[in-house]
Amino acid sequence: MSGRLTRWLARDINAPVFVLALVLALWTVSSGDPYGLRLMTLAGIYALATIGYQFVFGHAGALSLAQGCFFGIGAYVAGMLALNPGVGVETTLPAATLAATVLAALVALPVLRLHSHYFALATLGIGQAVLLLAVNWVSVTGGANGIAGVPSASLLGIPLGRGWPMLLLVWTLVAAAALAARRLTGGWAGPALTLMREQPQAAEAAGIDIGRLRLGGFLLSAGFAGLAGALQLHTIRVVSPEVLEFPVMVSVLTIAVVGGRTSVAGAILGAVLLVHLPEWFRPLQEYYLLAYGVALMLCVAIAPSGLAGAALSLRRRLWTEPSPPLPAPMPVPVAAAPACLEVHGLTRHFGGVAAVDGIDLVVTPGEALGIVGANGSGKSTLLNLIAGAERPDAGSIAWGGRRVHRLSPDRIARAGIARTFQAIKLADGLSALDNVAAGDWRGRDLTRARGAATALLARLGIADIAWQPCGELPPGIRRHVEIARALIARPSLLLLDEPAAGLGAAERETLGSLLMDLHGDGMTLIVVEHDLDFLRRVAGRLVCLSGGRIVADGTPDTVVRHPAVVASWLGSPGAAGGADG
Amino acid sequence: MLNSSVRRILAILAAIVLPAAALAEVPRIPVLVPVTGYLSLEGTAQRNGAIMALEADASVTFEVSDTGTSPEVAVTAMRRALRNTDVGVIVGPILGTQMLAMLPLAEEYQVPLVTISGTAQLTEMGNPWIFRFFPGDAVTKIAHARYVAEDVGAKRPAILYQSTAYGQSGHARLVEAFAALGIAPVYEESLDVATKDMTATLAKAMAAGPDVLVLHLHSGPTALVVRQARAQGIDIPIVAGSAMHQPSTAALLEPAELKGVCAESGSSPISGGSPEMEKFAADYRVKFGNEPDAFALAQYDAARMLLAARHAGATGGAPLRDWLAGNAFEGLAMTYKSDGKGNMAHDAVIVCYDGESRVPRIVRRYQGVDGGR
Repeated sequence: MSGRLTRWLARDINAPVFVLALVLALWTVSSGDPYGLRLMTLAGIYALATIGYQFVFGHAGALSLAQGCFFGIGAYVAGMLALNPGVGVETTLPAATLAATVLAALVALPVLRLHSHYFALATLGIGQAVLLLAVNWVSVTGGANGIAGVPSASLLGIPLGRGWPMLLLVWTLVAAAALAARRLTGGWAGPALTLMREQPQAAEAAGIDIGRLRLGGFLLSAGFAGLAGALQLHTIRVVSPEVLEFPVMVSVLTIAVVGGRTSVAGAILGAVLLVHLPEWFRPLQEYYLLAYGVALMLCVAIAPSGLAGAALSLRRRLWTEPSPPLPAPMPVPVAAAPACLEVHGLTRHFGGVAAVDGIDLVVTPGEALGIVGANGSGKSTLLNLIAGAERPDAGSIAWGGRRVHRLSPDRIARAGIARTFQAIKLADGLSALDNVAAGDWRGRDLTRARGAATALLARLGIADIAWQPCGELPPGIRRHVEIARALIARPSLLLLDEPAAGLGAAERETLGSLLMDLHGDGMTLIVVEHDLDFLRRVAGRLVCLSGGRIVADGTPDTVVRHPAVVASWLGSPGAAGGADG
Repeated sequence: MLNSSVRRILAILAAIVLPAAALAEVPRIPVLVPVTGYLSLEGTAQRNGAIMALEADASVTFEVSDTGTSPEVAVTAMRRALRNTDVGVIVGPILGTQMLAMLPLAEEYQVPLVTISGTAQLTEMGNPWIFRFFPGDAVTKIAHARYVAEDVGAKRPAILYQSTAYGQSGHARLVEAFAALGIAPVYEESLDVATKDMTATLAKAMAAGPDVLVLHLHSGPTALVVRQARAQGIDIPIVAGSAMHQPSTAALLEPAELKGVCAESGSSPISGGSPEMEKFAADYRVKFGNEPDAFALAQYDAARMLLAARHAGATGGAPLRDWLAGNAFEGLAMTYKSDGKGNMAHDAVIVCYDGESRVPRIVRRYQGVDGGR
């Protein structure tokens, strides 16, 4: 037990957080005045709301502005229930949590289809709609006055006072929420969520169902907010539309930014700080909000990654630790059964431009196909269509006889088609090992995934950089890491978009050997590349695109001499002729 | 000699480190008012009125805390104030939802809460610790409706009210008062405090054919409605809520735009009426650099009644509650006496602007409207 505690304390910023928690607990116990207890209770409530908010804002990377709304829903539901004699927190807390989660589920379908500022505005709209409902549905919500006269909280008939009992209840729930959050975002989900947040397109291509993860994050954030709102109701015993207004949302967002977007310890630190800070500045009278604002700006300027992030980087600067040993390599199971890729009449327009214009193409199992063409000829669009990142306007794609052109990228990846990108897409903050492990969607077991990732990195000859953050790696190594991530999904078709771009001669040589090895293992390859020498080495067949159409198809030697290819590459008139069989 | 910055820093450190009680040598009256947010004008007037009264008596000190516009912040401010063991009374905010959140604590700690909030519900919850020194909606809205019916002679009012606790409470009372006078509003609409463009609302209201516009809005929206109504050429009388009596509201409008505009209020200190009232207004201008309104005067009267109770031996808690509940006080605005529920103010006035200045004239006084005195 003591060994486990020592190991836990030695990890990340656990030791200073543990000491700080002890100091805060001792300070609260020793002062013991109702004001101090109220502030700590309030801090716990906001910590709970922020731990929830981190699921959607921090882990899923979506700026939801509905957290205050879910908080308010929890407060209203708890308030309505608590007015009935004999209804205690054993009923109000679960009901509030459930109500907020159900509302989130109802709005999730339209809202989660949106991205970036559209998502933010849609979630803001939900909050405004609920606020209007609360103000105008007077018979149910009490209108603008809200619901007053809520009796003291009770648990199974035992009255809970406002002071210590409420403080203990709130912080017990914070501890439970922290453990739950750690469990839900730990293990394989940790790197998968980071990849989803930093490189959503890569996450989808690695087989991660980001829609499902975002939905889960949204529902969890709502549930936690509802629970926090119910606790707030029981501490002030009234609920009014102010609880649905923007300041609650702003408080939670500020706590997440100041404390740290993904760190539970950061949420707690941020909540304790932000609840106490304005109180510390009260003696400044009318200037207290100015001082509060300046303090927050300083926090964000000094610690842009949040207090938890700043503490972690400080710790790493002060105590340099050797990288942990590499996980024991685990075998990467053989690829899925080879299949035939059949493309018929595939068309994709961007505005008035036909990027892909009626392409017919069959790639047989175990084939290594190279695709060449001038810039803008449709190579990457064709790859994106096959990988599901783009939807065709016309035509079809079949994989092993099954139509896949309407499937999402993650489903296509899980069907056995993996890819890399022209511009490398890695989560820079993650180690190379975890960038690769994130792609192991089958097992969802971090130990196994890291073992398989170790084996792949060793095969690619880059096991020595396994623990290095990808942001610190040179382009050639990053390219290999991306390929390793594609391979961990055990694809039978690998799509590579300009894999040799930016690589030196030695790195091209290594990459070429790797692709030939993979081809030798029976993997089907489609390689988009400008380097014809490289393609001649790895591909047994070349296709040349021009203006979104195939202008030549055959062995590499035939294709490179084809007049249409020469004309296409030299830009002569009449280049886009018919396809060469 | 320490300079003021150092003294301020030491004060902050002392406030953080030392229990507040250790700093207090004379009884302290917490003044918890909204000096930030959408009620900052009213809250600042409230604060100024309290300061005017309390600074004049060396036997007490006071401490002003901002409550913003959130019940949560108000409760925290009250908890902070209650750290002092010598707190016998608290001046509470004008915002009704904040007062509703503070009421259970007042009962728990047995501390009287003195406020100028007009929210009707406050004195209808059976809490004996609340004392309201501004006429509530039960008084002002009857006066409002009676003036519209009896003096303006209107039969077809259009009512625009705020979608806040203040607005909904006042609207309900107005509709009741009009019904008692046999009048049915031809148009009713609630407005969000953030609404800036009133033209569509005014067009809909006018389409209903009203003969008077009855407003029950906060300060900013009141000024916007009056200005946009005049800009649209709407020349029917406008009888507004108490926000329109505030000099800060009138300052947002040109005198010509104010012609034909009247407002209900508890009082109108800048309208004069007695040497004491004129002295109060002059002192207020000197001290705060702006014009006093009825909220400042009501809070001034309330604080003076607290001091009177103190000098009579009722310093706080139950004795003070009983004194406030059982005694009358002759204030500058009116005579205050509890109706048994904590409603201390029972008079209202109607003021009107003449179109040439921003100082309104009191045109009608309604005394003992609710029969509570």
